[in-house]
Amino acid sequence: MKRIIPIALACLWLAACTTTSTRVANKDGPKPPAGSQVLMLEPDVQLGLLTASGVTDPRADWSKAAKDNLTREIEAQLKTRAHGFKMIDPEGMMQGRTGQLLRLNGAVGQSIILFNYSGLSLPTKGKDFDWTLGEGVRELGAQHGAQYALFVNANGNYASGGRVAATIGMAMLGVSLPMGQQQVLASLVDLKSGKVVWFNVAIAGPNADMREPEGAKSLTASLLKDIPL
Amino acid sequence: MFRGRAQAMGAVAATALVAATPALSAPRPPGLKPAVDSVEAGLWDLMDKAEREARQKAELNTDAALNAYVRDVICKVATEYCGDVRLYVMDRPFFNATMAPNGYSEVWSGLLLRCEDESELALVLSHEVTHFSENHSIEAHEADKRRRNATMVVAMGIAVVGTVAAAGSANPQSAQSIMDATSSLIDVVYLASISSYFRFSREHETEADIVGLRRMAAAGYSPQAGGTLWRGLIAETTTSDFKRVREQDTRLGIFDSHPLSPLRAEALDAEAAKLPAPTRVAANRHRAAIRPFLAAWLKDDLRRRDFGQTLHTIDRLSKAKEDLGVLNFYRGEALRQRGKAGDLANAALAYQAATEQADAPPAAWRELGEARRRTGDAAGAKAALATYLSRAPEADDAWMVRETLDALSKGD
Amino acid sequence: MRILRPLLAAAAVLALAACETIPKAPAGPYKAGASQVTLGRDWSDVSVLLAGGLKKVKVLSIDGPILNRLYITDGLAVGESLVKSPSKERPTPKLRAGMNSSERMEFVADSIAAMGYQRVETMKPRPAKFGEQQAVRFDITARTEDGLDVQGTALASEAAGKTAFVLFLAPAEHYFQASLPEVEKVMASARPAG
Repeated sequence: MKRIIPIALACLWLAACTTTSTRVANKDGPKPPAGSQVLMLEPDVQLGLLTASGVTDPRADWSKAAKDNLTREIEAQLKTRAHGFKMIDPEGMMQGRTGQLLRLNGAVGQSIILFNYSGLSLPTKGKDFDWTLGEGVRELGAQHGAQYALFVNANGNYASGGRVAATIGMAMLGVSLPMGQQQVLASLVDLKSGKVVWFNVAIAGPNADMREPEGAKSLTASLLKDIPL
Repeated sequence: MFRGRAQAMGAVAATALVAATPALSAPRPPGLKPAVDSVEAGLWDLMDKAEREARQKAELNTDAALNAYVRDVICKVATEYCGDVRLYVMDRPFFNATMAPNGYSEVWSGLLLRCEDESELALVLSHEVTHFSENHSIEAHEADKRRRNATMVVAMGIAVVGTVAAAGSANPQSAQSIMDATSSLIDVVYLASISSYFRFSREHETEADIVGLRRMAAAGYSPQAGGTLWRGLIAETTTSDFKRVREQDTRLGIFDSHPLSPLRAEALDAEAAKLPAPTRVAANRHRAAIRPFLAAWLKDDLRRRDFGQTLHTIDRLSKAKEDLGVLNFYRGEALRQRGKAGDLANAALAYQAATEQADAPPAAWRELGEARRRTGDAAGAKAALATYLSRAPEADDAWMVRETLDALSKGD
Repeated sequence: MRILRPLLAAAAVLALAACETIPKAPAGPYKAGASQVTLGRDWSDVSVLLAGGLKKVKVLSIDGPILNRLYITDGLAVGESLVKSPSKERPTPKLRAGMNSSERMEFVADSIAAMGYQRVETMKPRPAKFGEQQAVRFDITARTEDGLDVQGTALASEAAGKTAFVLFLAPAEHYFQASLPEVEKVMASARPAG
């Protein structure tokens, strides 16, 4: 019987749809007015080929294609909600106060993952989704004429043919091997209050291959499904 | 960033080294860019990302003169790749240098502190340039894959791999808590593939040793620096406070899985004998370049809390009879912090020696006063503390020193 | 910017801290051994995550240890540490006999460096009280390895061979100032080990 679980898991990996896990600060809060400006930081995307041995070969071409596809889709889907969109490269922003704000965003993101996604709960946070970067973010908003900042990171790997065979083979022996998996993290920060208003983790399904335009479209639709914009 | 520990990389039994002329394939052409869909392009992309993060690190040393000096040495030993290499000096108290295939290169302060002259730095950089020019990284990655395939070592998921790697990694400054252990673990996960590119085979290390030595000698540096530097590192290991470190083989760089055996130093000496005499004599250029950082780097070194190694390093730096105010002050600091029997008296002597030099930091008088007070020399203590106050009247700890002076006066 | 790697961290934390629950440290008196402070608000007691099993060291937080951490210690004896050593070859600072105030500051700075912070500096030492005892109060600047500026403030006091500390660390951007008034009250309320 024990063998069934890894086999089932392996099959699940192959069959699952894109799954998302969202946290929202104020579920029933008012949506921002049309025409709000959203500042998006160039997403960090790292993809690779998971080889049979478990070593990942990084693939620059996939990372680049996925980054372009995701960026294009996010822009298109935000514009259908009648919001403005501006993308910037964080590379030039790491000095001074903006650099500190972006680093703090990373620290807050780490804390969210720890206490909202890992099963570890912090009594002082309770059940609410209540995280902030502080009002210092207004500086970022003023610099770019934006009301919101959107942060997106994606990473993962795709199993090679040999890896798929190894996974199924090992599953028969009762050992569960991870297959390729790709995940996208996104967070939306209110540049007036500093609050993280929305956070999402999406695990891509097989129909949501971000290396392809159609897959990226499907993945982005799932990712942004309930963004409060 | 590259901060795994040697012991995590798996020890390899020392066997005799063959210092035969390594067989060379054609070195990479300058300005190389890999095909976009190649594994090598993926590696470059990963390194580009690691490089972007390195630029934001707290440990990045941005001093223009220091960076210009190290860069100048790289360009002297690797003129053809000068335009390909981007150098980052990191204030990290460990002996390490890396050169990734995209040209992203790190040199750590612990290495700069331990090179006695420019030739020794040229030697280490030539060694790294050889890994770079001979594309060792990509070969190391392929070898890693072959090894894993051959042994059917199958990863049980990235988090688990990370946990195992982190358990053996004993990150230099972190791992104090789950949070910190986790943050280091993430780097281990993220860098697991990167570190495999810096784990070179014995053949690659031999090649880098010998070809690197020829490279630096051709640039006019002293080829004797190879044996000298290697033996210096081996000697330092033997002075460690920790038995496990003393018994562990010395390694060049924290990713190096091949010990720096005396044989390796002998192979370098034998090769050096065949090479031309140096044409570059710039004895003090290295010391002049690192001088502004001696105090900060020694303070970082003390935070490793391996006082034997720090004291050994200070002894080596003192041989040039320069910077003795700073060096003696930190000798005193190491002895005071170690606090073994007799250390306090020796610390007082070291602080005293520091105060006799023009470059003594004011704190040398404060610590001299404190050491004298503790060894029962109240009059000497008062004199030193008073000198401290006269030399650093605006010091924010002046009130603490005045309190000590008052207590000493009452005790008379 | 690196909000992705923490996803992996989460998995690791699950593996390392499975089943751990973080208790609440409610507003009011809070004890770390014989040291006692009065908390002006609820804190989370994250000692289980950060103290590494050191029984005399308590760590409290409001938004998680990356965003704020408050160390409160029982009286530490000679040979004891604020930070757990990960291995014999990676010792953390230990208290020595006969330390003076500047050495206690050095001990705190070196301990913060041992936690993984970079560029740790202490400044502005000033005389203070830890209950009825003479104490030194001082400020700290540091950076995370990723370059996030961190500020801190600490109180240290020694009596009868036992040294007690209260230490607060938080990112300089927003978090340090946000909790400083509460931390000032906590420090003012501190009573050392008897």
